[in-house]
Amino acid sequence: MKDIFRVRRMWRPRSELKPRYDVVIVGGGTHGLATAYYLAKNHGITNVAVLEKSYIGSGAAGRNTTIIRANYRTPEGAEFYKKSVELYEELGADLDFNLLFSQQGHLTLAHSDRGIITATERAEVNQLLGIDSRVIGRDEIRELCPEMDLSDDVTWPVMAALYHPRGGIIRHDAVVWGYARGVDRRGIEIHPYTEVTGIDRENGRVTGVQTNRGPISCGTVISATAGWSTLVCDLADVPLPITTHILQAFVTEPMKPFLDVIIVSSQMHVYISQTDRGEFLIGAEIEPYTTYRGTSTFPFLEFAARHTLELFPQLERVKVLRQWTGLCDVSPDYSPILGKTEVEGFHVSAGWGTYGFKAAPIVGTTLAELVATGDTPALIQPFELERFYTDTLVSEVAAAAVSH
Amino acid sequence: MRLDPRPGERIDRSEPIRFTFEGKLVEGFAGDTIGSALYAGGRRVFSRSFKYHRPRGLLCCSGACPNCMMEVDGVPNVRVCVAPAHEGAVVKAQNVRGSLERDLMAATDKFGGPFTPVGFYYRTMIRPRAAWPLFEKFLRSAAGLGTIDKHARRTGRYDVEHRHADVLVIGGGSAGLEAARAAAASGEHVVVVDENAPRGDAPGGLELLAPATALGIYEGGLVPVAAGRILYKVRAKRIVVATGALEQPVIFPGNDLVGIVLPEAVRRLVHDFSIRPGEKAVVLAADDDALAIADDLRDAGTQVLEVVDLRNGPHRISASGTKGRLNGVGVEGVRYNCDLVVASGGRQPAYSLLAQAGATVAYDEGRGVFVPRDLPANVEAVGSVTGEGTGSIAPAKTLLGDKTFVCLCEDVTEKDVKRAIAEGFDSIELAKRYTTVTMGPCQGRLCHLASVRMYARETKQGEDAIGTTTARPPWSPVELGLLAGRPHEPGKRTSIHHRHKEAGATMMWTGSWRRPHSYGDPAAEARAVHESAGLIDVSTLGKLVVRGPEAAVFLERIYPNRFADLKPGRIRYAVLGTDGGRIMDDGTVARIDDETFYVTTTSTGAEGVIEWFEWWNAIWKLDLSIVDVTGAVAAVNLAGPQARELLGPLTDVDLAPDAFKYLDAKQGKVAGVPTLLLRIGFVGELGYELHFPSPHGETVWDALAATGATPFGLEPQRILRLEKMHVLIGQDTDSESNALEASMPWIVKFEKDEFVGKWALEHVQERGMRDRLVGFEMQNGSVPPEGGAVVRDGRLAGRVTSARFSEQLGRAIGLAWVPEELAVEDADITLRVSAGLERAKVRLRPFFDPEGERLRS
Ligand SMILES: Cc1cc2nc3c(=O)[nH]c(=O)nc-3n(C[C@H](O)[C@H](O)[C@H](O)COP(=O)(O)OP(=O)(O)OC[C@H]3O[C@@H](n4cnc5c(N)ncnc54)[C@H](O)[C@@H]3O)c2cc1C
Ligand code: FES
Repeated sequence: MKDIFRVRRMWRPRSELKPRYDVVIVGGGTHGLATAYYLAKNHGITNVAVLEKSYIGSGAAGRNTTIIRANYRTPEGAEFYKKSVELYEELGADLDFNLLFSQQGHLTLAHSDRGIITATERAEVNQLLGIDSRVIGRDEIRELCPEMDLSDDVTWPVMAALYHPRGGIIRHDAVVWGYARGVDRRGIEIHPYTEVTGIDRENGRVTGVQTNRGPISCGTVISATAGWSTLVCDLADVPLPITTHILQAFVTEPMKPFLDVIIVSSQMHVYISQTDRGEFLIGAEIEPYTTYRGTSTFPFLEFAARHTLELFPQLERVKVLRQWTGLCDVSPDYSPILGKTEVEGFHVSAGWGTYGFKAAPIVGTTLAELVATGDTPALIQPFELERFYTDTLVSEVAAAAVSH
Repeated sequence: MRLDPRPGERIDRSEPIRFTFEGKLVEGFAGDTIGSALYAGGRRVFSRSFKYHRPRGLLCCSGACPNCMMEVDGVPNVRVCVAPAHEGAVVKAQNVRGSLERDLMAATDKFGGPFTPVGFYYRTMIRPRAAWPLFEKFLRSAAGLGTIDKHARRTGRYDVEHRHADVLVIGGGSAGLEAARAAAASGEHVVVVDENAPRGDAPGGLELLAPATALGIYEGGLVPVAAGRILYKVRAKRIVVATGALEQPVIFPGNDLVGIVLPEAVRRLVHDFSIRPGEKAVVLAADDDALAIADDLRDAGTQVLEVVDLRNGPHRISASGTKGRLNGVGVEGVRYNCDLVVASGGRQPAYSLLAQAGATVAYDEGRGVFVPRDLPANVEAVGSVTGEGTGSIAPAKTLLGDKTFVCLCEDVTEKDVKRAIAEGFDSIELAKRYTTVTMGPCQGRLCHLASVRMYARETKQGEDAIGTTTARPPWSPVELGLLAGRPHEPGKRTSIHHRHKEAGATMMWTGSWRRPHSYGDPAAEARAVHESAGLIDVSTLGKLVVRGPEAAVFLERIYPNRFADLKPGRIRYAVLGTDGGRIMDDGTVARIDDETFYVTTTSTGAEGVIEWFEWWNAIWKLDLSIVDVTGAVAAVNLAGPQARELLGPLTDVDLAPDAFKYLDAKQGKVAGVPTLLLRIGFVGELGYELHFPSPHGETVWDALAATGATPFGLEPQRILRLEKMHVLIGQDTDSESNALEASMPWIVKFEKDEFVGKWALEHVQERGMRDRLVGFEMQNGSVPPEGGAVVRDGRLAGRVTSARFSEQLGRAIGLAWVPEELAVEDADITLRVSAGLERAKVRLRPFFDPEGERLRS
């Protein structure tokens, strides 16, 4: 309790840049900060700078809809995200910061027999890996979510669902700030408003970066720039098989508790949760066109509202308060691109599409290990950029992508 | 207290209105809002605040603040100050435990509660982890404003209307109307949107939407306007924004007490509703308009104790109250006992729509407000939204005293802001997220400027350096129901749909189509196809006509299979691949004549295939046209050993085995209807797929059904096709499957010079097969789940994609992806069934009629 009223700085004010660091991390989102955190915590590497072109958490970290779950489709993916969920469960205590992790449970709805097949596929993979995940029928769905319209005379009747009890939502900014504080306390420097404009190389090896505040020399550069990954990797002449799209979301005015489980319908392209603040947090799929322009669109609101009301007609008079967009770096197989590139000392965390927030702790842990040991941890070997040259894709897409 | 009738009042005293508040009767007049009627009846406390549950009363009386939200007729979060009163309305307070006057949660104000102080919840309740779900439950129930009626249904009365205008004017104040009149005078079609109910008729030549709210200026100049239950989508050549300026609260201790109002509240209470707002008042204001409110007050019989011009340097102000209601205010050490303080710290341009449209927002040092700059093309600003006549005062250093609120929606105090800065949240965007200032229902209207100015003061920077936070649409909260429109989602139905319903079919979804699952007994329907003849509606297939001198070249390039050498009157199976060599869709291609091809696709894939064709031809620019005839053409498949006999009498086409061979396409009449007959066999028996104009769907169906052919649904079709090992794209394949590994190497013609995805398939050939799609037969009768796992050494080795029990074969059969080394006839594989393991044998040839004799018969 002592901490309630004591005012302590979360992090030091931004300092001058040093001419050299061992490691430069580009991007002050959850991935960049987590990587810095585990470099210090697990490996004692602290001569590190995190460079962020805006304020920390200004990218997708502070815009996402915070769904955390492990019930992925491929064994590679499921194992990886399972580890991440486990880390998230301990993260609040580890960072000594309450992340408001609300493990309400997560339901992916199936509205057709194709949908049930996809759900079964995932449940089977999950169960083999010890992930609590199963296909449930309407009766059990009704118990978990009595408010949802489960009648037959709707456009998309709910036939079954994939239930993942440990799925949850969290306060995204708290994750950013908790990591940032941990990073700062361990002596690593965070530099907001510091944009990387060039990546220096010699003989195929990274030697430093150029920034709007001057050059820095370093032996390792990690790009954790999510939606900006293709631009940053271009600076090192590393092409990525990624397209950038926008994803939109909105919140409503805060209401008293109504919905205690996360609802995702990939067939209706909508997902809905209610935060601890009482707001309904609603999102859809990525927009089909590629862009870096973060303007919100009106058709998105109409579309998501329509589908929300199909599931929850009671929300008809609830008001939308705010909508926004974020960038998504979409890879062809909906799996991330992690680790080494052809430029020695230049590592990436990219291809996060609409699902990267839940991976921050495991990305941080594994990338830190890669930097410290020089070897790619087994858990992330399936996700190497190399897979696009060897045609060993890790498809999370199935018939239709369920991506949050 | 109601004044004597006054000119210009909005109420109609000849028409009383009665409604209830918390079960008690309230009387008002037509023209009243629920808020004004309650106020006239003496109610001053309208709500309890978000965190501290402090009493709150009318502040703006114009729908801009969080203070008057109540539940009306079951609808939560209604701003009653602008909600018209109506007979019989049932109005209740929300977010209180007890009553507005005695709220049990009010203890949080004195002793702290789950949200206090700022960021409190991040620093507590961390350990033990097991206790968190309990804390969380408590947090959740304390948060949130209104309550949702769990049994509410959709009311369905929402509509969308489109408006195209030369000029759209947003804001019907003097500047807006002037611009509107000028445009109308020059002959332009003008639409004006205003938030307030109109007074009298719209000025001539203008279309007035009021009361209505422009929600935003979206891409392409789309301005959605919410007007009750109608959503107008307005598109205009020119948009004039005349949204005016927003009166800003003054920051001082106790500034949220009930009885402290903005000048606009007084204007409305007095002039619109003829209500005396209070008995004794003090006016604190920073502009001439607001200072003039003293005259309105006197006019309404309120005693004005003091008028303070806040522009004359900083003032030390502090208000006090009992039970949350104002009883006095101190200004520069002088105390005034009063029940009303009209306070305005100036006016901030309401620039949000402009910012959203793409304008930049800059700080105007001289005025002390943010103003829009660099307006996008075709968007103009007039009146005070430009900054004209606006200004604000810097927040004064405050005295000790009651809480000083910066943000009323979220109950954020000056202390909270200072604390956030001290903790290192040193940019306005970070501070906003930490303190949640501007993130409440007022969308920052009443707190954004104050928070930026306080921030500037505390960090000793200029407001321009602090900057603004991003303006996010919508401009006003808008109901999901209005956005959703009428509750309907188009589902597609074939022209034979009603016949299926009449025959008692259970319907199911395939993509956006509704199709018969079966007519009651799938096994019997499958048996009929094997033994006599069955009839299935396949109108949902995608159907394209590709025609032109280069149509053959096009198909040859886009498909891995050959089509250039397809003879007119012949059909070929077609698998479409992506440029990455992945399977995208399948269907058949029939050559009608040299230049005309009739292409079918899967039911769910039609749109994707058309896009794909058009995309490629945009690059190749071949001389051809692609026409989607999916909806125009119905199709049924008549299949079974008796199909020929049954169809014969109905058609003029010679069906003799020599005249009409397997994979022939012929045109003729069936039941008098012009028809394209395709001899193909997805279900493994002699069959004719008949394509004909949709309007004749029932005619042809009835004629065929009358021959005695048994209608069959999708479920029996799936059993039948599985017996033949025919692949269902999207079920047996996924986004990474290629034709080689999906065991269809014969459709890939590597000898062709070029086709989409060739390089990728060559690569697959080079690297060798890894997984393969094979058939399997269960060793005992159990049917594994579709989507089930193929297990090897306790790990996932593959997946079951299809599985059924075949009565015909007396066995459970299926398709599965297995590692290449297991893709040999008779190999043993292990499948997961109901969490246990079961054995199956791999089969590489069709389970039924492997030589296809029945198809060709
Ligand atoms: C609307 C929306 C909803 C989502 N919902 C979910 C969800 O429910 N669950 C989930 O798991 N994921 C979700 N995601 C995806 C997830 O948010 C992202 O994949 C994830 O946050 C990416 O990692 P990050 O936090 O490190 O990225 P970011 O926060 O985007 O960090 C990248 C940072 O790099 C900085 N940067 C870029 N270029 C440079 C440069 N040249 N120099 C310096 N800095 C630079 C950017 O400013 C940015 O701060 C969602 C995304 C969006 C947009
Ligand atoms: S008093 Fe009703 S919104 Fe401000």
